[in-house]
This record gives sequence, structure tokens and C-alpha cells, in this order.
Amino acid sequence: MADDKDVLRDVWFGRIPTCFLLNQDEVTEREAEPYYLLLPRVSYLTLVTDKVKKHFHKVIRTDDAEEMWFEYEGTPLKWHYPIGVLFDLHASNTVLPWSITVHFKNFPERDLLHCPSHSVIEAHFMSSIKEADALKHKSQVVNDMQKKDHKQLWMGLQNDKFDQFWAMNRKLMEYPTEDGGFRFIPFRIYQTLSDRPFIQKQFRPVSPEGHVHTLGDLLKEVYPVALPNEGGPKRFQVVIHGIEPLLETPLQWLSEHLSHPDSFLHICVIPVPSD
Amino acid sequence: MSLCVLDEDKFHLCCQLLLQLSEQLGDGWSWEGGQEGYLRKTALRSVVIDSSSVWDYEGEGADTSCPSRSEQQEGEQEQAAVDASADTDSIKGDMEDEDEDDGVCVASAGSSQLLQYEYHILHSCSYSTPVLYYRACTQEGRSLSLEEVWSSVHPNYRLRLQNSPLNTITLQVAPSAGSAFLHASPLQDGGVHASGAAGGSGPTQAGELRVVVAQCGGSCGGAGRPSEVLHPAAPCGPPRQHRARLTPPPVSVSITVEPPCTEAASLIRPSEAEGGLCARVLHGSDCQDPQTDPNPHLL
Repeated sequence: MADDKDVLRDVWFGRIPTCFLLNQDEVTEREAEPYYLLLPRVSYLTLVTDKVKKHFHKVIRTDDAEEMWFEYEGTPLKWHYPIGVLFDLHASNTVLPWSITVHFKNFPERDLLHCPSHSVIEAHFMSSIKEADALKHKSQVVNDMQKKDHKQLWMGLQNDKFDQFWAMNRKLMEYPTEDGGFRFIPFRIYQTLSDRPFIQKQFRPVSPEGHVHTLGDLLKEVYPVALPNEGGPKRFQVVIHGIEPLLETPLQWLSEHLSHPDSFLHICVIPVPSD
Repeated sequence: MSLCVLDEDKFHLCCQLLLQLSEQLGDGWSWEGGQEGYLRKTALRSVVIDSSSVWDYEGEGADTSCPSRSEQQEGEQEQAAVDASADTDSIKGDMEDEDEDDGVCVASAGSSQLLQYEYHILHSCSYSTPVLYYRACTQEGRSLSLEEVWSSVHPNYRLRLQNSPLNTITLQVAPSAGSAFLHASPLQDGGVHASGAAGGSGPTQAGELRVVVAQCGGSCGGAGRPSEVLHPAAPCGPPRQHRARLTPPPVSVSITVEPPCTEAASLIRPSEAEGGLCARVLHGSDCQDPQTDPNPHLL
């Protein structure tokens, strides 16, 4: 059996082959070639697409180039969700490479956050880590860290340095053995068809009676629709990092191993493809 | 910490009481979104958005001169400690209530513009506290950029906040609206909360939680500083006629001010800087009749 630590590495180095295409309505001086990248699942679109911007800036008039944003089949892609979440939510069960359309005008103010610099992403990322630690440790771990420690987490993500990130992140994953897990599990459940961006509630890894809570227990409590009916056909897939973990998997284990670098366990509930 | 957490049920009870008070005051808070809903209020405000704004102070205990940028920077820590209780800073507010403001923002360049503010107060399950979100849009429906938001932040705080991304305004998704919001993360520096705990009057025993909402500013004392440093809080005054001239708010970038998550977190105190007329809600057995509240400035 593989060491559980290998799972951390596998999650970190998950990649999605992606083809960036310029929106046809953009005015170009010559034909825009598509641009291909392997996108890290755990990163953010606007953090890893400087090369994409540079590539398309070569063919569009500089005066016409406003803030770059991305769209997939008509849906503007929220840069503040991890890339893997965007893919699982909108593009699961489709053919690779993932085909993303690049825009430089008509920024969809209603749907997207502006992202003028990487510092905006950093602030968002650190805010998530802090919120997660409020749930896990009443903020004690993140507050005990120094500024350079916070920076190490961010630089680890920004520069794709697994060891640098995890040297610090392991502190955020610790808990007293007698507790059996974190205070609450930081999770977010995303659905494709909902007005609400995601479901987020307080949920403990262990029941008051000492039973270990599983992924199935969580869904039963906060989003029972996602679970298959007794004997009925399966309607939804519950996807984390592109895979469907067993519903019997302990939630604490998932939180420690399948959380994104922002410390949240991002769970996508998507309809089973009809074929 | 456990002394001050506010679970969702208690939050809803607080909101009901606040809405009763709001109805008496006629200040326009309403409940939206059903069972897992939130408090909402809109206001039209005239605000100077200009990075070269010069600040003037009229409140008690504050110098009436306008400090230079370097002085502001040097005095930052000191000022931060004072601000929690000093009745000093507030951006020039709503047109019809200007004279009620405790401080005014005088523009050395640029001019004031009319902005539409929308405030949401909802419960954060992560921090177990109420959170204030707000958004600001121009009359044309354009949302304020982050830079413009910063321009409306009190200069005394701007540098400190910008140097500390973890404790500053960030981009978030507002659970109430599901769209783009700016979010002011909790500070850990005590500030309002420490001041409130030390100098507050009224009951402070375990279990008490005060949710203080400035009449229009919706200040929750968030982020360890008077909320009006982060956004132009509305002045307090007699009931206003805002609602009659509101246009439907565009969905756009918004700003949130969130109370901190530490032990002091949930003891949310108003500072006098909030400008006087506020609605205060106590929950559980600590609820007091507003008419007999010992802090008349709160009500």
C-alpha cells in the first residue's frame, strides 16, 4: 500500500491539459494561434496564465486589451476557485484538452472578481487559509505563525514548490491525537445548478459518540440530494480532485490529504453524464 | 473564545430584535432570503473618492489639523490604539445628514460622487460571528474598483492595511448573493474589541453578545477598527427618505467587513466614532429595553 504522503504529492502535481483560444470577437492584427498549458489543479487561473496573456497580446491591438478573463462554454470562470474545482464543476466528462476561451473585453462584472495583480490572489488565498484554521484550530495555528511563515505558504503555491509549502502547511494539519481530528472540517460543496455559490457548514470529523464521520455522513447531513436513493439510479457524482472517493472514506483523512492548499476540502457535486 | 461565539439561532434572534428597533427608528433594515437569510439595507451616499483626499477631524480628542502622509505613517500605531474610542473619523456622509457627521473628508482634488451602498449582515459559520458585507456602485451601475475602495479608506489605516494582506480587504464570494464581494479579514490587534472589553459599560458576562449596527453604516466594529475607515459609514440622524429614491442595485463588487475570530471576537462594541445613533441588540437574558439602556448614545 502506498504511503499516504504520496497522496499529497499526487494531489499537488495534478495537471489539466488545457487549450486557450482567443475569443473570436476580439480584433486581431493576425490570426491568433491557440496556446497550450498544463494547468496545476491546485493553483488559480490568473496565477498561471501570464504566458497566455503575453501570447495573445502579440496579436491584438494593445489599445483594445482590457483585463483578461476566461470562459468555458458560455460560463465565465471564477479565478478565485481553484483550477481543479473549475474543471470538475464545469468540464468533467469532456474531452481533453480543456478548451478555454480567452477574452480581453466586456469583463463580466456580475460574475467575476477583478484580478489586477497576484497580490489580490495572495490575499484571497491567505484569507481562505485563515478561515479554515478558524474552523480547525480556532485560528490558533495561523495566528501563531509569523509573517514569513504565511509568505512561505503563498510562495510555495506561487512557485509550485511542494516541499516549501508542506514544510509549513503540516502545522495547519496537526491536531491532538485524543481529539481524533480537527474541531470542524473546512469544506465547501459546489453544485452546478444553484444560486448559492457553495454549501459550507460546521461539521465535526467525529460524532459525539465517538464514531468517525465519513464523506457519506457529511453529505447526508448537509446535502442529502447528492446521495443515491435506495435502489435508485445514481444521479450525482461526488468529485474531489477529479476522482470519486468512496463515501465510506473518513472525512478527517480527506481533509488532511485531499484539501486544496487553501486548506478547504472542495467537493463538486455534478450530474451523472447521461450519454 | 467560547464565551463570545454566536450560533446561528442566536444570530437570528438578535436580528429579529434589531429589526424591531430598526422599525421604530425607520432606518430601513430588512430581512432577506428566508431561513438562512440576512439583514439588508441600502443607502445612497455622497462620497469623495480621491487618493489625494485630505482628512479633517472635528471629533473630540482629535487634532483638527490634517497630518501629512509621513506623519500619518509614523503615528499609525498610536492612532490605531486611539481610534477605537476616539470620536474622530468618518467620511462625509449622506447629503441630508451632513451636519450629523463627526468628521468630514475634505477633497483637495476630485469631487464627491453619489454612490449606492448595499449592506448585508449575515452569520459566518466559520467565525461564529455576524459578518458585514457591503457593496458600492456608482449611479451608472459601475462597481467601485479595489483602488477606489482604498481611496475611501481613512489614510491613517491605508498603509498599514495594504502592507498586511492577511488583515486587509480581499476578494471573496458573498454567500448571500453568490457574487463578487470584497472582504475585510479579521484583525488580531484588539483595537475596538479590547477597548470595548475594557471600557464598555453594560453587562459583559459570559454569553452576552452585542451586535451593534450603526444606523446606516452597518458597522460591526469589524476588522479591529471603526468600520467607517473601510467604507464611508453613514452618519446617524433622524430617519431618512433614502428608500424613496433608490434605484435597483446592480450586482457587482461589494465589500465586507467581518468581525474578528479571536476570543474578543464576538464582543462587538460600537466606538463613538460610529457617530451616535446606533441600534443595539442584546441576545438572550441580557436583552435590555432600549428605552432604559444605560448607553443612550447607542440608541
